[in-house]
Order: sequence, then structure tokens, then C-alpha cells
Amino acid sequence: MKQQWIDYRIQWKPTGHQSGAMRGLSAGIGDHLRALALLRDYPDPRRLDLRASLRDPFERLFVRDTYLNTALKLIVLVDATASMGYVGAVNRWQVAQEIAAQLALSAYRSGDAFGLYVANQALIREGTLPPRLNRSAWLWIQQHLHRVKPQGNRMDGLIKVTSQLPRKRSLVFLVSDFRWSESDTNMMFKKLNHHDVIPIVLEDPFEVSQAPKQGMAILQDAETGQSKFVWMRAGLIQSLQNKRLQHTQMLHQLSRRYGYKPFLVHGSFNPMALTHYFMERQT
Amino acid sequence: MSHLHFLKPELLWLLPLALLPLLSHGVKQFSYPSLADWPKDLASLNVRWAIRLLAALVIFSLVIAAAAPFTEGGTESRVGLGAEIVVVLDRSGSMSEGLKGRDYNRQSAEAGESDTHFLSKIEAARAVLLKFMQQRPADTFGMVVFNASPISVAPLSSDRALAEAALLSAQSQSTGFTALGRALALALDHFEDRPYTASRLILLVSDGDAVIEGEDQEVLKQAFIRQRAQLMWIYVRGEREQSILDTVIAGDNEIITAQDTAYATQQQTASMHQVFSQLGMPYQAFEVDSEQGLNNAIQAVSNATNKPTRYEYRLPRKHYAHYFYGIAIVLMGLLFWIKQQEIVVWQPSSFSKSR
Repeated sequence: MKQQWIDYRIQWKPTGHQSGAMRGLSAGIGDHLRALALLRDYPDPRRLDLRASLRDPFERLFVRDTYLNTALKLIVLVDATASMGYVGAVNRWQVAQEIAAQLALSAYRSGDAFGLYVANQALIREGTLPPRLNRSAWLWIQQHLHRVKPQGNRMDGLIKVTSQLPRKRSLVFLVSDFRWSESDTNMMFKKLNHHDVIPIVLEDPFEVSQAPKQGMAILQDAETGQSKFVWMRAGLIQSLQNKRLQHTQMLHQLSRRYGYKPFLVHGSFNPMALTHYFMERQT
Repeated sequence: MSHLHFLKPELLWLLPLALLPLLSHGVKQFSYPSLADWPKDLASLNVRWAIRLLAALVIFSLVIAAAAPFTEGGTESRVGLGAEIVVVLDRSGSMSEGLKGRDYNRQSAEAGESDTHFLSKIEAARAVLLKFMQQRPADTFGMVVFNASPISVAPLSSDRALAEAALLSAQSQSTGFTALGRALALALDHFEDRPYTASRLILLVSDGDAVIEGEDQEVLKQAFIRQRAQLMWIYVRGEREQSILDTVIAGDNEIITAQDTAYATQQQTASMHQVFSQLGMPYQAFEVDSEQGLNNAIQAVSNATNKPTRYEYRLPRKHYAHYFYGIAIVLMGLLFWIKQQEIVVWQPSSFSKSR
């Protein structure tokens, strides 16, 4: 894996007393001025504010009180239903694994806690990392996550696992292909509402945009196992694209309702694109 | 239309194989993340069932073709035009005598000096019969000539040249005895093993009675009935012969001894004419004593045989296997083409086109 960490940014201030890279809410050592206090109250001469002290007519000494640069909790939720095992132009599970590994690496570089939860109809223990500062998480992901085989067609485990997430607001990456029903998606977003959620939508070019334009085949639904005979032709591809477009629009609308913005991964994952996404994100 | 039969009906047990395409899809299968929001596509469904039906039809036709279906041809009532005519030509010695009224100047005719007057009976018969043959292209001719023993010179066939050559080669020769009964029997044998497709006629051209013995009469009678043949007797009358209609015997032997006459009278209680009249088959006799009369007689014969004959024709079996093989080949070609349309790798079309 090419180590190329993601410079994620947030627009909110994380609580907590663990020092990290984000501008937090509690007092401590940081870059952002919180208040000026008397040296008498905060006897730390290293932070003496000469300018304020000289300006004071009563010749009191002031020290700077700053916000603590706070560590964040970064959680990656990975959908492990059977559709995540799809191999088209790229191996979808490998892409999910790479995203998780890159995020783990980036979290450690920023001094943030990293947690990983993999679930389909239930939480998968072999794919779980509790959220903590974890130096080797990315290596662990690379070596262990491929042992998890995506299967099943229900994502109840993902909804349930939201209750195990940290109570304080965290940065949550939801890695999935989002082939869920609208109500499930809505429920998932609702449960994660107090977190900063980034839905990472995995797509494969061979699914729709680069699907064969003609010919016949049988497609087997990875989740339900149902087979369908398809005669690929221009009209069918058009309606297929329309359907996918509708689904994407539905996803965007739902996300907007909760203040999220989906990040599309079309094919393989490019960490730079995710960095750009954070630069552009306004919410 | 008769029922369908099969040469190998046991192969029909393989017919359930035609259901095989309904069980197995036989099309390459690919995994797809989710078909939940795959658009409703009636055309694909129809195509799929069409292909299954096609494959089932291929197996069905192959099995049916292997079982070799056929129908019995049955019989067809047909109308036969023309006639099958076996000419039984007497070539006994007396046939070389002159026709009545044309029998003088024989010596000069034999010397080649003049033939304006002399016309032998066989020559007249030959000329008229040849004309008759040429006038009736639809008929089938056979030829039997006889004097002491009958010779089948031309079998009953459509080979007209053969019959005409046989006719032309018939020369009279005296051997002292005329085997009329056996000649008729031989002529009747020509009809053996032939389907009854046209009216059958034995055209006996002779100039005299001959002896047919009692048991031979019965055999001949049975043969006539079995072959359903008509008999027409053109009695070419010369100067010396008596009319068949009123004589008991008109032998062609030049010298009739008293013993001969006695023998013939003893053996043959009725005249030939009476014998033939009792055959049970249509019989006509024409007594002809001139060339013109011969022509008239022939005309009467052709009128009699111009009547169309209704007969039952047994049609051959009709086999249908090749139709089913043809259908199977065409459908398999179609299936092959469809197979070419199958997606081999679920990849963008640019790949599948360039492969």
C-alpha cells in the first residue's frame, strides 16, 4: 500500500482532554487563544503575555489561556454484506480495506484514536478494533481484514453497532456500497446523527457505467442469490443508469437531511481525492 | 390421411430430455452486487423464454427425427389415361397370304416386280398397328408373337422404340402349329406384378382359330379375370377362311386332314369366339377382311380403350424425419448465433468487441 495519508479536517470542535491535532473545546496547550488569565491564577510563566501585561494600568501580569489541541476519535464502519465482496474492475472488499488502512494511518499521524467496526447482520468480532490511539492499526487491517468474508444480505449489525460507538462526537466513516433500502439508510444515518459522518460510497465501473453494451448473461444477486437473465442493450443500460442515478440522488437527499455529504469512490480509492473532499467540505 | 407411425418408437422415451433447457440455464453467470433495483425488463424475460423454448424445440425435433416418423401413404383413387396393350400377333404361315381382295399378283410381288396389288395380312396388320402405336403416345405397348410357340419380343414398357422394332421384325413363318393358348397366357403374364393403373387390353391379331384345350381354357379364363384384361380379337380374314362368327373351326393349317378335323372337333367343343365370349371380361371381335376394315377395327379398339380407368393407387410411405432434422439444424444455427451473443466476460463492451 502506498502510504499517502488523508488530511481530514473538521468544522466542529471535539471535546475531550486528549491532546491531538484538532482545535478542541477544553482549556490546555494549544494554538488558539481562549482567554487571558492572571499569572496568579495560572502560574505558568512560559505563557506570559507581555503585551497584555504592559498594557495593563494596574501592572498585573497576564498569562495566555489557550484551547487544547484535542485528539479526535475516528471511527470506520465497514459494511460486510455480500455485495461488498463484489469483484468487478476492482475488488470492492480490498478497496474498503485500503480505505480503512489509509484512515488508520492518517489517524495515527494526527494522534487521533482509530476504531474499526465491521458488521453485516451482526458485528463481526474479527474485524473490530476499539477506538484508541493505535500505531499498527493499518498493518493489522492489511493483514487481518481480508479474512473477513462479506456475506449475508442484512445490515442490522451496522445499526446495532452505532450504540457501541463513543458517546462524544467522532468522525465516522461509513464505508459501504449503500445498496440498502431507503428506510435502512435513513435509520443508519439517524443513529449516527450526533457524529460527523462521511458516507463513503463504493461503486464499480463494471456495475453500470462500463457494463457490457450488448449480449446476454445471467446475473446473480450476491446478496439474495437470485439469478436474472439479462439481455444487455442500449435501452436497458439507459434505464439501469436512470435507476442508479435515482438511487444516488436518494442517497444525497438523505445525507443532506442529516448534514452529510457522500464521498464517491468510483473504482479504486484515491486518498488525495478524500483530502480534496475535506478541503471542499463546508459543513 | 393416416396416422403417424414411428420406425423406432422406443426413442420417444427420450422426449423428456426436451425439458432440460427449462431446468438448466446454460448461460454464463456473473455475480452482481444487487439486483434489487435492476429495472423491470420484460424483453429480457421474453428472450430468455424464447431461448429456452428454442433449445427445447431442438432437442424435441432431434428426438422425433431419430424416431423416424412416417405416415402410411394410403391409397388414392386415380384416373388412368391410356391403356396397357399387349399385342399378340399371329405370325403363322397363313399370315403371309394376301388380304382378301389383295391376294393376286403374289408371284410378281415376291419377285419384286410389283406390289401395288398384293398385300399380305401380316404386312397390313403391321402397318396398321404401327400407325395405331404412333397415334397413341399415352399407351404402353408389349408384344408377343407366336406361331408354334409364343415369344415375348417386347415386355410391357414405355419404351416405344422397342415395341415398334418388335412389331416391324415380326415375319410370318409356317411351322405347322399355332400356340394361341400359350401366347395368350404369355401375354397375360406381362401384366403380372404391375399395378392396375390403366385399362388392360390384349389385342390379338390373328387370322384363324386354333385349338385351346379344355383345361387351358379354364386357366386362361382365370388369368383374364385376375389380370382384369380385356380381349380384342382382330380376325384378319383372308380369301379362304370362313367367318369366325359362324364356323366351328377355322384352322390356319393349309392342309387339313380328316384326322386333324376330327381331333379339333373333339377337343374344342365351342369355337374360339364362344370361348372368349365366356371369359367374363369385356371381349370384342372384329372380323376384318380388308385394309380399310383393319383400320376401322383399330379405330374401334382405340375408342374402347380411350375410356379413363379409375383405379386405387397405393401411395408410398411418407417420411418426415428429414423435416425434423431440417428444423433442428435451422434452430441450432439460431442457437449458435445466440450463443455468440453471450457475454463471456462481464467487461466493458470495447473488450468484448475486440476479442
